[in-house]
Amino acid sequence: MNKSGIINKNNYLLLIIVILMGVSLSACAPKMVTKADKFPLLYEESPASILILPPMNESTAAEAKDYYATTIQEPLSFNGYYVFPYEITTEILKMEGIYDAELMKDLPLQKFREYFGTDAVLFTTIKKWNLSYMVLAANLTVSVDCELKSTKSNATIWQYNGTVVVDLSGGSMGGGIAGLIVKAIVTAISSAMADYVPHARTANYMALSTLPYGKYHSLYGKDREQKFIEQTRPQ
Amino acid sequence: MNYLKIGCIVALAIFLSGCAAQRMYYWGDYSNTLYQSKKHPSDQSNLGHQQALENIIEESGKNNLRIPPGVYAELGYVYFRQNKKDLAIQNFKMEKQLYPESTLLMDRLENAVKLADKPKPSESNTSEVQPSKPDK
Repeated sequence: MNKSGIINKNNYLLLIIVILMGVSLSACAPKMVTKADKFPLLYEESPASILILPPMNESTAAEAKDYYATTIQEPLSFNGYYVFPYEITTEILKMEGIYDAELMKDLPLQKFREYFGTDAVLFTTIKKWNLSYMVLAANLTVSVDCELKSTKSNATIWQYNGTVVVDLSGGSMGGGIAGLIVKAIVTAISSAMADYVPHARTANYMALSTLPYGKYHSLYGKDREQKFIEQTRPQ
Repeated sequence: MNYLKIGCIVALAIFLSGCAAQRMYYWGDYSNTLYQSKKHPSDQSNLGHQQALENIIEESGKNNLRIPPGVYAELGYVYFRQNKKDLAIQNFKMEKQLYPESTLLMDRLENAVKLADKPKPSESNTSEVQPSKPDK
């Protein structure tokens, strides 16, 4: 009697563990790939240093570029690369007349190796930086494409997109016309105060979680089998 | 039963330790003060960012952490704008020592400092880096 009681309890525990695992795995249900399978060139070259180029801005917000640029250096450093000081390198590029990475897309990237001594350059493109209004709500979207290119081979050695969508509408405000008006005001206020930058940081962390680690990270060279969700890119 | 409990606890501990991996760098208030200096450019916001940089070096030292890449260099660049040439060069050298990957750029900056006349603070947003006039 007693014994079967214990077994039952054990079974419960096992069941819970299995369910927990099932839940945590199902969150990863989209197609998974390993870092090594997706970014073999990066492992081949194992760059030590990265130069961040000024972002390209495809959003309608003119200020997005300067603001977004403040969010990338810090998270990138946590991937274990030497990241060149953006505040300095952009000044130098400006003096060379390069304000936009658009101008560099087709240049031989070897120039950056010669001038800065960098192994790779990071192109970022702000795809979305906007509020979209629905009748009584507003969504804030930040979406950024990141692409790392080798200054040796010009090849793309890593790329990923980070997108964050935030619902800005306040909580429910009760029914009736008065409730609707109050809610509309709340939405307007939170849109005016909408701060994109914290969400841009989140988008960066999202994208960078798929970037293989560099030499200053304790998992350098040991993350080949780490898996992430494969993104299908609209061509 | 006990085995299972222990097993669960161990598994949980491993799971949690994965999240709470040892901190790699201390960046303090860096990205916030940098953002503020872009959003509301002023002497005050620039000073705020300078203090954030100095604070990173101080706190990292206290906690035995490596200074994050670029921090010494950026601080050196701030000093350069303030015409504190010795401090600027000292910081560029620290960056180079900590991160050999930066050698080429740090040497360039050091040369620029040595060659520079007084950078005019009033123009500091447009044309500093290398006003490459030789010293008098």
